[in-house]
Amino acid sequence: MRINSKLLLAVAAMPLLFTATAKAELNVFACEVEYAALAKALAPSADIYSATTAMQDPHQVQARPSLIAKMRQADLVVCAGADLEIGWLPMLQMKASNPKVKSTDKGLFFAAEQVDTLDKLASVDRSMGDVHAKGNPHLHLDPERMLSIAQALSAKMIKLDPQNSGEYQQSLADFSQRWQAKIPQWREQAKGLAGKKVIAYHSSFRYLFHWAGIEQVADLEPKPGLAPTSSHLASLLTRAEQGDVMAVIVASYQDERGAKWLGERANLPVLMLPMSVGGNEQSKDLFSLYDSLFALLNGVK
Amino acid sequence: MSALNTRVSLLALACAFSSYSAMAEDSSLTNPNISAVLDGYYQTGDRPLAEREEGFGLGETELALSANIDDNFYGKVTAVIESADGETELNLEEAFIQTLALPSGLSARAGRFLSDIGYLNNQHKHTDSFTERPAAYRAFLGNHYFDDGIRLSYVAPTDLYWTMGVEAFSGDSLRAADEHGDRDFDDVGVFTALTKIGGDIGIESSWQLGLSYLRNENGLAYAEEHEGEEEHEGEEEHEGEEEHEHSHSASYTGENTYIADFVYKWAPNGNYKYQNLTVSGEYFRVTDIFGEEPGHVEDIDDMDEHEISDDDYHEGWYLSSVYQFSPSWSAGVRYGEVDTYEIHEDHLDPQKLKETEVSLAWHSSHFTAVRFQFTHQDGTNFDGVEDDNIFTLQYVMTLGAHGAHQF
Repeated sequence: MRINSKLLLAVAAMPLLFTATAKAELNVFACEVEYAALAKALAPSADIYSATTAMQDPHQVQARPSLIAKMRQADLVVCAGADLEIGWLPMLQMKASNPKVKSTDKGLFFAAEQVDTLDKLASVDRSMGDVHAKGNPHLHLDPERMLSIAQALSAKMIKLDPQNSGEYQQSLADFSQRWQAKIPQWREQAKGLAGKKVIAYHSSFRYLFHWAGIEQVADLEPKPGLAPTSSHLASLLTRAEQGDVMAVIVASYQDERGAKWLGERANLPVLMLPMSVGGNEQSKDLFSLYDSLFALLNGVK
Repeated sequence: MSALNTRVSLLALACAFSSYSAMAEDSSLTNPNISAVLDGYYQTGDRPLAEREEGFGLGETELALSANIDDNFYGKVTAVIESADGETELNLEEAFIQTLALPSGLSARAGRFLSDIGYLNNQHKHTDSFTERPAAYRAFLGNHYFDDGIRLSYVAPTDLYWTMGVEAFSGDSLRAADEHGDRDFDDVGVFTALTKIGGDIGIESSWQLGLSYLRNENGLAYAEEHEGEEEHEGEEEHEGEEEHEHSHSASYTGENTYIADFVYKWAPNGNYKYQNLTVSGEYFRVTDIFGEEPGHVEDIDDMDEHEISDDDYHEGWYLSSVYQFSPSWSAGVRYGEVDTYEIHEDHLDPQKLKETEVSLAWHSSHFTAVRFQFTHQDGTNFDGVEDDNIFTLQYVMTLGAHGAHQF
């Protein structure tokens, strides 16, 4: 009863707070930097924090004190989902004691729940390595999927902060227009890549390759989540010697050593692609991230 | 008998959970996480106050179930199966509910759970980088302190992480020795207050500092009358069992325990996948350890080496550093000391134990560790330990949906 009356009081006080601060001040906690960048595009005046950088593997993040403190203050938590953050997000939610972001009915948003994921599995066994039954969670590198996610995220922001719905609608319209204008350009740049074969690290670029028609013929990891071993690399060398592979690709948070070893012996270029915004100097937002990815892939010859 | 009851109710609980899971649609966050921990070892000696014995043995085999019960509550059950001296016992280490929907950073937990004092205490032992807890934990908290009680926590809405908590426990496992079994203990014996702050230093480093206070109403040990027997292992709580090897009770108690702890973690670019470093340390002081039983008549003709004064305290600390130098290998060093007093009739005998430990672990994935550990023990008047070397080979593996780890 006391809790209820407190809640009522808080609800009653909310309009006062919002009228006092004229601008939208949604406090957003993003699990990955690509979703921080998307939130920034959709809510330019929001207070946005990213738990990881493009140099950090989002599978393995410490549920560290700074993240608990940030989540404690968040109105909205935006994550890839599909169990990518299973090793740390539940701990943060537990420790942050912030009921606003505990479930997807409220201020929790999973990108993977807005679109179809690739590579869903009927059953998962740990002997398969670090795989996700709900499909591949690295879905921010598909332009069409990203547009659907943007629409859903904007709708979530409006639901949480209806007072400023005009601002969110305007931002989404701007973003969608710019994004849709870019898609044909990227499609054009992807043309020359269709049918090309690569060896890559993990399934990090699964969606990008899928969209561009690139085929990943082998993985530097013997099993998802496990580091490359010398025997596995030797088998990749045999595969590379067939001569149809364009490049060896690693993401900005992955160890280059295995790729370099293979690249040197198989005489293949090694390409480090930005996994997200901030993954290289050129990638300052989602637009320049995609520009940079296609420029780098097309630069291989 | 109670072990049997626990077993039956645990089974009932498992059934309740599994019928729930059949109805739920989503497969990961809402369904119960069911997990097990397998732990086995071989070692060449005994460490004092430790759970593992010489030779082949099993550590704690753990079975855990956890899930959000509904919108407002989370629940977890952890059963631990231990075998020692040819006997297998089932214990409940955790069986608690926690609120999920209290406003303003508040949360409450009730039932049986790990106290949040110190750094290591609220962590599950299978996540440790060494085979045993530091000597200070073994001496003052009975390895790790879990108990029946309640906790209220608050997290401040600040960018600097700041949490505060208060707990009340029955405190049975932290009771002082009661040689004659006639002492009138308080039913709610332990109260704690704790605070932690933490944050990041740039992108690569994170830290946390903690201060805890534990009040133990039953912690004061009483002087014995002179007719006391020569046997003076009374500090160890027996609970009617003959073997003292396998006790979860604290061996050294006092009315007031103060703990200061820190942890610092570093990874290149803040990327924990390949390399990372953890440095942690804790300091314990246990005061008001020994007093006169109420109504005791003072003896004046005591001329022993160390007479009891109000200033006597137990003390312990450790410093540990663990480096993961590749996803498959990690190595750690730890040094710790405890300075304690053994109560001998009506005077105190000082004791000291120093432990230097080195460990090397191989991880075939995040869920496995095969560890080799060397411990050098240097004791003074400590359970017969003088200058011992112990080698331990251990595996710890988790299976099932294993929950996220704490910082």
